[in-house]
Amino acid sequence: MRMAWVVFRKELRETLRDRRTLLMMVVVPVLLYPVLLVATEQLALVGLRQLEAESATVGIAGSGSVDILSFLEGREGLTVLDVLDPVDAIRADSVQAVVVLGPRPIAGATQSATVLYDAADERSRGARNVLTDALRAWERDLLAERLAERGLPLSFATPLVLADSSVARAEELGGYTLGRFLPMLLILMTLLGTFYPAIDLAAGEKERGTLETLLTAPVPAWQIVVGKFLAVALIGVVAAALNLASMLLTFQTGLFQFGGTLDIEFALPFGALLIIFVTLIPLSLLFASLFLGIAVRSRSFKEAQTALTPLYLAVMMPALLPAFPGIDFTVALAAVPVAGVGLFFRELMAGSPPVTPAIVAVVTTALWAAAALAFASASFGREEVLFGDGDARVRASGSLLQRLRGMAGPSGDTPRVGQAVGLIAVVGALFFYVGFPLQARLGESGLFLSEWLLLFLPVLALIWWARLNVGVTLSLRRPRLRHVFAALLVIAGAAPVGWFLAWAQGFVLPVPWELLEGLDELITADSPSRLLWLLVLFALTPAICEEVVFRGVLLAGTRGRASMLRVATLNAVVFGAFHISFESAFRFLPTAWLGFLLAWVVMSTGSIWVGMLMHFANNGSIVLIASVPALRAWFETAGDAPPWILLPPAVLSIFLGLRLLAPLRASAEAPDARLEQPQESG
Amino acid sequence: MIEFHELTKTYGPIHAVEGLSFRVAPGEVYALLGPNGAGKTTALRCLATLLSPTTGAVYVDGADVRERPLEVRSKIGFLAASMGLYERLTPVELLFYFGRLQGLEGPELERRVSDLVEVFGIAAFRDQRCGTLSTGQGQRVSVARAVVHDPPALVLDEPTMGLDVLSGQVIYRFIEGERERGKAILFSTHHMTEVELLADHVGVLSEGRLVAEGTPPTLLEMTGERNLTRAFLALVSDRS
Repeated sequence: MRMAWVVFRKELRETLRDRRTLLMMVVVPVLLYPVLLVATEQLALVGLRQLEAESATVGIAGSGSVDILSFLEGREGLTVLDVLDPVDAIRADSVQAVVVLGPRPIAGATQSATVLYDAADERSRGARNVLTDALRAWERDLLAERLAERGLPLSFATPLVLADSSVARAEELGGYTLGRFLPMLLILMTLLGTFYPAIDLAAGEKERGTLETLLTAPVPAWQIVVGKFLAVALIGVVAAALNLASMLLTFQTGLFQFGGTLDIEFALPFGALLIIFVTLIPLSLLFASLFLGIAVRSRSFKEAQTALTPLYLAVMMPALLPAFPGIDFTVALAAVPVAGVGLFFRELMAGSPPVTPAIVAVVTTALWAAAALAFASASFGREEVLFGDGDARVRASGSLLQRLRGMAGPSGDTPRVGQAVGLIAVVGALFFYVGFPLQARLGESGLFLSEWLLLFLPVLALIWWARLNVGVTLSLRRPRLRHVFAALLVIAGAAPVGWFLAWAQGFVLPVPWELLEGLDELITADSPSRLLWLLVLFALTPAICEEVVFRGVLLAGTRGRASMLRVATLNAVVFGAFHISFESAFRFLPTAWLGFLLAWVVMSTGSIWVGMLMHFANNGSIVLIASVPALRAWFETAGDAPPWILLPPAVLSIFLGLRLLAPLRASAEAPDARLEQPQESG
Repeated sequence: MIEFHELTKTYGPIHAVEGLSFRVAPGEVYALLGPNGAGKTTALRCLATLLSPTTGAVYVDGADVRERPLEVRSKIGFLAASMGLYERLTPVELLFYFGRLQGLEGPELERRVSDLVEVFGIAAFRDQRCGTLSTGQGQRVSVARAVVHDPPALVLDEPTMGLDVLSGQVIYRFIEGERERGKAILFSTHHMTEVELLADHVGVLSEGRLVAEGTPPTLLEMTGERNLTRAFLALVSDRS
C-alpha cells in the first residue's frame, strides 16, 4: 500500500492546485453559498414587503348589497372600482381582483359573493387575500350587528374556537425542515466534490498523456487506483463537510431570517453532525470509484463529462427521495445506493433514526463502494481502456456500414458485457417509447409487432453489428431428450411456486384486481381459432423474442464473468424489471422467478431451445387455464390463496429437474462443447 | 538486454506489428526507423508493458514483459511520445514523485534528483510549474523523469520531437553518456541526423514488419545509396 500512499499524496497536492476543484470545494460553500442564500432571502423579503405596502386595486361587480361597496371603499389599502366585465378587467390589469356579488338578499338572508383573481399573478393573489380579509371583516361586523339586534352575545354564533399548536420544539422543527432538503444538498455537494477531480485524475490524465507514463512505473494498477480514489473521496468528503458547516453557520448567525419568523431553530446536535460526516465517507468512496471507473474509459475531459452526466442525473433521483412525504426509512430502501444514505440523514436530522436500517444504509453503501472500486481497478489495467484508439485504422476505412461495424470494437464469439447491457437499454427504451404506444393504438397486433420488431430485430442487428457468432451467442445447441424432460419438470414445478410467490407478494404489494380482470378477459379464448392466436401471441412469440434477448444476448454477455448463481440472479432481476410498468409492479417477483429458472436451465444445457420450450409452456398454460372451462372452474374454486397441497410436488418437480441437469453443467460450460451436436442419449 | 522475439500485435484485422525480432545489447544504441503508422510506438508500448503482445514475446534482461511486468518496468526508463508531465507539479516535485514510485527514497533519491537537475539544466526552472515550461524545457524534464531510477535499459519514443538544436544537444549528450555507462538504448525517430549521430544499429519498420536491420554503413551498402535518408526511402518505398 506504500505506493498507493505516494499516489494519494501527489494527487491531493495536484488537485488542490486546481482552480476548478478549489472553486467547487471552498469558494462555493464558504463564500458564494451563504451569500446566495442570504441574498435570495433578502430579495424575497423585499418583494414580499413591497407587495404588502402596495394598495390593491379591486373591482366590484353584480347587484349585491350596497353596504359592501361602502365598506370596501372605506377600507385602508384598497382602491375600489366598478367593473362591467370582471375577467377582462383582471386580464387587462386595470384591477387585480374582483368581487362579484350575487343578487341582493332580503333582510337577514345570506349575500353570495365570488372573488375572481389571476392565480398566475403574484399581485393578483395578494389582492385576493386583501379583498377576502375585507369581506370577512364585513361579515363579522354584520353578524355582530344582527346578534346585537336580537340581544345575543357574539359567542352565540361561535360555539367553538379551534386552535392547534405543535409540541415540537424549535430545534426539532428545524431538524425536520433541514431533513427535507439538506440530505439532497449534501449528496449533491459530495457528488460535485468528486465529479471534477475524478474526471481530472482519470480522463484528464489520459488526455495529457501522463497516464501512459504513470503505468510504466513498477506499481500494480490497483495501488494507483486506490491512491487516486482516496484522494477523490477525501475531496468529496471535505467539500460536503464544508457545505454542511457553511449552511448551518449561515442559519445560526441570524443572517437567515425566515427561520426566526417561523420559530424554527436550524441547529443539529454535535453527535448527529459527527455521524453525518462519517457516513459521508462511504458515500464519497462510492462516487469516487464509480466516477473514476467510468472517466478512465473516456479519451478526454470533455468526453468523460458527457459520459458521466447521465450517471449524475441517475444519482439525483434517489437523492431526492428524502424530500418526498410518506417515504419511510425501511431496510429495503436503506439498501438502495444513495437513497439509503439520504433517508438516514433525514431521520438523523429529525431525531433518532431506526438502528437496523441505519446500519444497512452504511454497510451497503460501503459494499457498493467496494464493488465500484473493483470496477475502477479493472478498468485501469486494461489496454483497450488505455489505448481505445488502437484500431483507429480499422474504423477509419471502409464503407459507412463497415465503419459502423468497426465502432463495435474487436469482435468475439459472444457480446461483451457493455454490448449486452446496451441491448437491454435499447430494447427497454424502444418498448417504453414505441412499444407501449403501439400496443395502446393497435392492441394485440401492437403487442405482436412490438415483440418481433423491438426485441427480436435488435438482437439480429446487434449480432450483425458486433460480428458475433450467432450460434454461440444465442446458445443454438440442439437439446438432448434428457434436457427437454428436465426442463419440463422444472417448469411444471415453477408455475405453482410462482403462484405462491405472487400470492405472498400480495401481502406487501396491493394486487391491482381491475388490471388482472382486464388481462383475464384478454387471454380467454372463446373459439379454437382464437385459442390458437392467443397461444401464438402470448406463448410462442415471447418464448422466441424474449428468450433471444434475455437468455440469448444478456446471458452470453454475462456468463463466465461471475458464478452461475449470480449470473442467473442478474438475469432474473433484469427480466423481472423489464416486465414492470406503472400498473404492474406486482409482476416483478413471479417473472423474476421464471427468469432465474430459465437462465439456470439454459446455462446448464447450453441450449436456448429448452428455455423457449419452458417459456412457451409457462405462458401457454396460463392461456389454457383461462380458456378451458374445466381448468378455469378448478382454479376459480381454489380462491385467492393457492392450494398448499400443490407446493410439495412443485418443489419436488423443480428439484428433480435441476438434479437431472446438474451432471450436464460442466460439459455445457466447456468451450469445445459450446456448439457440439450431442448424440441423443439412449 | 532487450530482446524482441517474433512479436505480433493485432487490432482486429489490422496487424500493427508482425513477427518483429531484434536485440539491443548493453552499451548499444538501437534506432527504430519507420514512417507514421509503421508500428514503432506499438512495439515500444509492448516493451513498456503497456500493451500485451498478441503472439511472440519481449524480454528485458531475461524478464518476459507478460509474465514479470513489474520487474520489466523497474529495468526500463520509458519516454512516451507525449511529454506526459503533470502541469500543476514543478519539475523537482515530478522527479521526486516518479523516484518514489520506482522505490527510491531518502538521501539516495535527493542525490539522484539533484544530479538530474544538473545534467539536464533544469535548475533555472526547477520551481516553475510544468504547465508553464517551453517544449524544450518540458522534454528535458520528461527524459530526466524517465531515468530517475537509473535503469539499465532506456526506451525513448521520439525523444527529440519538436525540440530546437540546443535542447536536442542536451538529449544527445545524455544518450551518448548513458551508452558509455553500458546502458541498452532503444529509440524511435524520424530524424536521420540522430541516427547518424547516435545509432550503433538501425531497424527499419514498414507496415508492422522489420524490413531491414544493420549498422548505418550496412544499410547504405544494402541499398546502394549515399546517405541514410535515401536508404530509408528506398527501403520503405520497396515495400509500398
